[in-house]
Amino acid sequence: MTSPTRPSRPFRPFQSLRWRIQAWHALILAAVLIATMFPAVHLARENMIRRIDDEIHRLQIDLMRSLERNLIESGKDEGGGPMFPQALIEHLLKKNTSPDTPVPESFQGTGPGYAYSSIRNTDGDILYQTANAPDGLVFQPVTKHRMPPTKRLVGKRREHAVSIPNGISIVIGRDITPDLDHMRTMTGIFAGLGLTVWLLGLLGGWWLAGRAIRPIQTISSTATRIAEGNSDERIDPSAMDSELAELSHVLNNSFDRLSAAVERQRQFTADASHEFKTPITILLSESQRLLKRDRAPEEYREGLETCRETAERMRRLAESLLILARQEDSPAAELRTPCDLSEVLAETIANHQPLAREKNLTLESDLSPAPCHGDPDALALLAGNLISNALDHGGNTTVTCATTATSIRLTVIDDGPGIPATDLPRIFDRFYRADTARTSSGSTHRGLGLAIAKAVAENHNGTLTASNRPQGGASFELTLPTRAS
Amino acid sequence: MRILLVEDDPLLQRSLAATLREENYAVDTANDGEEAIFKADNSGYDLIVLDVMMPKLDGWQVLDHLRPQNPTPVLMLTARDTVRDRVKGLDTGADDYLTKPFDSEELLARIRALIRRNAGQTRSVIEIGPLSLDTATREARVSGTPIPLTAREYALLEYLVLHQGEIVTRTELYEHLFDEEDDSYSRLLDVHVSNLRRKLATDLIETRRGHGYLIS
Repeated sequence: MTSPTRPSRPFRPFQSLRWRIQAWHALILAAVLIATMFPAVHLARENMIRRIDDEIHRLQIDLMRSLERNLIESGKDEGGGPMFPQALIEHLLKKNTSPDTPVPESFQGTGPGYAYSSIRNTDGDILYQTANAPDGLVFQPVTKHRMPPTKRLVGKRREHAVSIPNGISIVIGRDITPDLDHMRTMTGIFAGLGLTVWLLGLLGGWWLAGRAIRPIQTISSTATRIAEGNSDERIDPSAMDSELAELSHVLNNSFDRLSAAVERQRQFTADASHEFKTPITILLSESQRLLKRDRAPEEYREGLETCRETAERMRRLAESLLILARQEDSPAAELRTPCDLSEVLAETIANHQPLAREKNLTLESDLSPAPCHGDPDALALLAGNLISNALDHGGNTTVTCATTATSIRLTVIDDGPGIPATDLPRIFDRFYRADTARTSSGSTHRGLGLAIAKAVAENHNGTLTASNRPQGGASFELTLPTRAS
Repeated sequence: MRILLVEDDPLLQRSLAATLREENYAVDTANDGEEAIFKADNSGYDLIVLDVMMPKLDGWQVLDHLRPQNPTPVLMLTARDTVRDRVKGLDTGADDYLTKPFDSEELLARIRALIRRNAGQTRSVIEIGPLSLDTATREARVSGTPIPLTAREYALLEYLVLHQGEIVTRTELYEHLFDEEDDSYSRLLDVHVSNLRRKLATDLIETRRGHGYLIS
């Protein structure tokens, strides 16, 4: 379900999770299968060889018995006894046998599985040899002490070479073509089985990987749709396993925050352009009016003064908007320096004394040291807005600053008419101007002053609240964490 | 024509009022919804220019109060320009709707159109006998000859023309030709009537003793 506008991704199996899982799975499964089958086959082979060796041993006994009988028949021995009684050896050393000497059936002919034997003395003379013995037999040397028999594979035959001390050296062997064929068939079956299991495993693995991957694809396609404009959609975590559900929650939260930020920005732009419309109308109206007819210079001057005042108003509005935007977007941590709120306040209060005097109001303070972390300029702005707000719409103003163990409290109170109950919940909204506060162009921040103050407070992990005092007048309270906390 | 201008921004109110007065309208002003209702209830206006976003009562509330008893044409001014706001404005009873920022000329043209429509006239040039009155350019001609008139004289003539066939009382003329800014000297109605008659040099304006004037 890739979006039609995205270019199709080039096929790069080494980068695809599914393909990589599949490749690893194939490798591991193959390794496991081989690790299992190999010893099994080897074991079977070992067993087979052992069995063949046992058979050859028995054949050897048969042969010896047969030769013994021959000896008995020729009347030269008492009969019975262990396998290589001295009498037999002497018999053989005297070369009393011939190719015509009857042998067990297994030693006859060269059909599949034929057995053969050859007996030599220490000089290498053939003492006895079956008619079907192959050429080039290698004998074990005769030594003083008994040596263990040599057992070996020669082509398609299995041979034992035995030597009797001071006596004879025997080679006895057997063609094992049928056994080898059997072995080969069995190996083939094992291999075929292994391959089948491997392929089935691959198929199962592919299916499993697909199922595991599918939620990822769902997340991916949902996120793509959200990013491309369907901003209300969210990933549904209900059908997913816990790991992916967690991822879905995290992504959904991010989308929520993004949505909120986009909405804030949209609202901001709408508010801003809205606020500019009236001043622009004034400029248009006044300039058009002035230009309509010839006038006395005094009229032009008055009209231009109106235009200038309005342009000033727009400039202040733009400035305030920028300040607000910067406060809302800036990661406050960048500007954190240690400062003392009471010092910031003292300076701001001094700056506002002229305004208070102009309005015939008093501006008093009661400050105690309040170390904190923050941006001194932003804090000055916050304080200034609260103070000018109090002077403009309240009355005589008092600023208090106190510190407790965990927080700093700044209070700005006035003895004016207070804030109407209907305005109180929205007093910090942008561009919200309480009815009684409808001002002329003298207002500094054009309805943004308190919104800016609130943004600064929040940037410093603090809270700013407004209330009416029981004795009349408004009270604005800012709480900030102290430097230590 | 007397216009009630309801706009809370002081600079804009001043500028618009000046613009309208220079167009020979008598202009009363209101700073908020309450004042607007008070004045609209107590005086007769030919048109109300009504801003929407105002303290105390907003434009919608003023409009609600006016309609349906008060048929005065209302032109709404606002910074809200979504289609929804426009539809709401017109459906609530506004006769026209202008969004800020607007061109003054457009405002004036729409005002003229509303006043004209209210008087039952469809074209801007009105002809009665030899008199031809162009309400757009505010020119009066008699038998093709342009007649120079003062602002007051034109306003008076236009009012009578737009109320053609009706007897217009002196009180009504006082109400609709003068606003709260006029001094008592300029309010001498008889002076304007006689000057007008002299300039027109026709018997267009009739006097109904004890009642008023009319153009038939």
